Amino acid sequence: MSNNQQIALDNDGNSIWKFLVSEMKPRGKWFTPFNIISVPIILLGLALIVIRFWKGLGEVSNVTQEVPWGLWKGFNVVTGVAFAGGAYVLTFMVYILNMRKYHSIIRVTVLNGFLAYAFYAGALVLDLGRPWHIFNPIIGNSFGASSVLFLVAWHFLLYMVAQLIEFSPTIAEWLGVRRAHKILSGMTMAAVIFGITLSMLHQSGLGALFLMAREKIHPLWYNEFIPVMFLVSSIFAGLSMVIFEGSISDRVFFDQISEKNKKAQNGIIRGLSKICAGTMFAYFFLQLLVFIHGQHWDLLNTGMGHWFLLEMLGFVLFPMILFFISYRNNNITMIKIAALLTMIGVIMNRLNVSIIGFRWDAAVRYVPSWMEVVVALAVIFTQIWIFRWVINRMPVLRDSPSWAIEHE
Amino acid sequence: MDGFSYSDIFATKGIEYLIIITFLVLLIPFWVVLNKQVEIKSKIQKALGFLSASILKIPQGLYYSKNHTWMYMEKTGNARIGLDDLLLHITGEVKFIVNKKPGDTINKGDLLTEIDQNGKLLRLYSPVSGKIMDTNNMIQKTPGILNEDPYGKGWIYKIKPSNWIAEVKSCYFAEEATNWSSAELERFKDFLAISMKNYSPEPSMLILQDGGEICDHSLSALPNEIWRDFEAEFLNLNR
Repeated sequence: MSNNQQIALDNDGNSIWKFLVSEMKPRGKWFTPFNIISVPIILLGLALIVIRFWKGLGEVSNVTQEVPWGLWKGFNVVTGVAFAGGAYVLTFMVYILNMRKYHSIIRVTVLNGFLAYAFYAGALVLDLGRPWHIFNPIIGNSFGASSVLFLVAWHFLLYMVAQLIEFSPTIAEWLGVRRAHKILSGMTMAAVIFGITLSMLHQSGLGALFLMAREKIHPLWYNEFIPVMFLVSSIFAGLSMVIFEGSISDRVFFDQISEKNKKAQNGIIRGLSKICAGTMFAYFFLQLLVFIHGQHWDLLNTGMGHWFLLEMLGFVLFPMILFFISYRNNNITMIKIAALLTMIGVIMNRLNVSIIGFRWDAAVRYVPSWMEVVVALAVIFTQIWIFRWVINRMPVLRDSPSWAIEHE
Repeated sequence: MDGFSYSDIFATKGIEYLIIITFLVLLIPFWVVLNKQVEIKSKIQKALGFLSASILKIPQGLYYSKNHTWMYMEKTGNARIGLDDLLLHITGEVKFIVNKKPGDTINKGDLLTEIDQNGKLLRLYSPVSGKIMDTNNMIQKTPGILNEDPYGKGWIYKIKPSNWIAEVKSCYFAEEATNWSSAELERFKDFLAISMKNYSPEPSMLILQDGGEICDHSLSALPNEIWRDFEAEFLNLNR
C-alpha cells in the first residue's frame, strides 16, 4: 500500500492519465468467494437490464398498474437510502458535535453513503416506464413542483453533490493534487451542513411518498407519521450499517487500517451501540403511540398482525435490548449481532410499507420475479465492487499522506 | 373485551397520554442505567490502579516546591499555585477549604489551604510570598477536577509574587522535578511501611513486602494518625 501512496505523492508533474490507467488495473486475487458469487450475478443482471430497456419493463418485472413499485424501488431505493443514513448522522457527530473519536470512520461512511445514493437512486431509473423523464424535475420540462417526488428528486441530486464534496478531499489525496485538496477541504464544512439538512428532509420525504397511498397500505403500517418514522429509523439503520460494514472492513481491509484506528474501533462500535439503543427506545415508543392512535387492536390477531408484532418486538425491541445490554457489558460480538438484527428489522419495515403491506388485500399479490431479484442483487454487488475498488486505491481507511494532514 | 369499555379514554386520547408519560418515566432509568457502566468501569480501573512513577504527570515547565505544590508564572506576572499529581494520587479525591480571599497577603510558610477528606485534614503552606489575586471557584463545585487536571483547571490560587526569583530557587524544575517525584514516591512507600507498623498490629495489606507497587489513593483508607505523620513528613517546607 505504501507503494500506492508514493505514486500519489509524486504525482505532481507526472502524467495524471498514466496514473489513472495504472489504477484501473485490477489488484489482488480474482478467485475469492465473493467474486465467484457476484460476477455471474452482475453479468446476468446486466443482461436483464439490457432486456428491460430493449423490450420494456413488463419483460423482466412483475409490477402492474395496481402495484407500480416493485422490488427495485422497495428494496434498492427505499431500504438502501435508509441504510445510507449513517453518513448524515456521523458527519453531524464529527463535524458539528466535534466528537473526534469517530473521525477515523467518517470517510468510509460517506463513501458508502454516496455510493448507496448513486446506485440505489440510480436503480430508480430502471423502474421508470419512461426513464428519460427522470431529468424533468431538474431541467424544468415539467417541474411537478406539487409532488413529493419533486422534493425527493432534488434532494437526492443535491445530497449526492454534497456527499461528493465531502468525499472529494480523499480523491484529491489519491490524485496528489494539493491545491485542489486545500480548496475542497475548505468546502467540507459547508457541504456537511447542507448535507445534514437535505438528509433529514429527504429521509422523511421518502416516507411522505407513501402518504399518497393511504388506501393501499395495510393500516398497521400506514399512518400519517410515516415520515417521522422513516427519519428516526434511518438513524439506527444507518449506524447499524456502519457497525456491520465496519466489522467486514476490519477483516477484508485489515492491512489498510492503522494500529491506532484498529484500537479505536471497539470504542467506536460501543459508542454507536449506545446511540442505537437510545434512538430505538424512542422509535419503539413512537411506534407504540402511533399504533394506539390508529386504534387497530382488532388487526393484531391476524396474519399481518403477527407479522407486525414480529417486526416490532423481534426486530426493534429485542435488538434494542441487545444493544443496551451489550453496551453495558462491553460485548462487541453481541453489538454486531444486534446491528444485524436491526438491519433485518429495517429491511422488514421498509418492505412492509412498500411491498408486503402494499395492496395486501389484492386478489393477485405482487411477487417479484426472479429477474427482479437478480437485478436488485446485481445493483448491490456492483456497488460493493466500486466500494472495494475505491478503498483499495484511495486513502479512505488508511491514513492520509502527510502533506494532506497539514491542510486540516 | 365485552363489558370493559376503554372507548372513552380513546376519545380523550387518554391512552396516548399514558404511553407518553410511561415513555418519559422509563426514559430516565433507561438513560441512567445506560450511562452507569462507564462510572463503574472507571471505579474498577481506579481500584486496580497501582501508583508508580510512570503514571505521574510532571509537566516540565512548572516549579515544584518541596511540599508538593507547584507554581507557574503567567504572562500577566501572576503565579498560579496548585497541588502536584503525586500528592493527589496519594490522597485520592479531596475537598478544599479556602481560607484566603483575593486581596489577602501571604508569606512563604504561611498556611495556604487545607484539604479535607472525610474529616481528615492536611495543611499546606505557601511556597511563595505575595498577594492573593484570585481563587478557583471550580474546585469547590467539582472537586474531581483536581485529580483529573491538577496542573490546568485544578489550580487553587493566583498570587502576585513579591519575591519570586529568590523563592523559586529552592524549587525543582524540569528533569530535576521528575527525578525528585520518583524519589518522593519511594520515600512514601518506606513511610507507609514504617507508619503502618506504628499504628496497626496487623501486617500491612497495602504494601507488597518486596517493596513493590502500592495502590492508588493509598492514604484514603488509613487513619488520621497516619495523615498527621504524612503531613509532617511530606508537606513541611522547612525539612
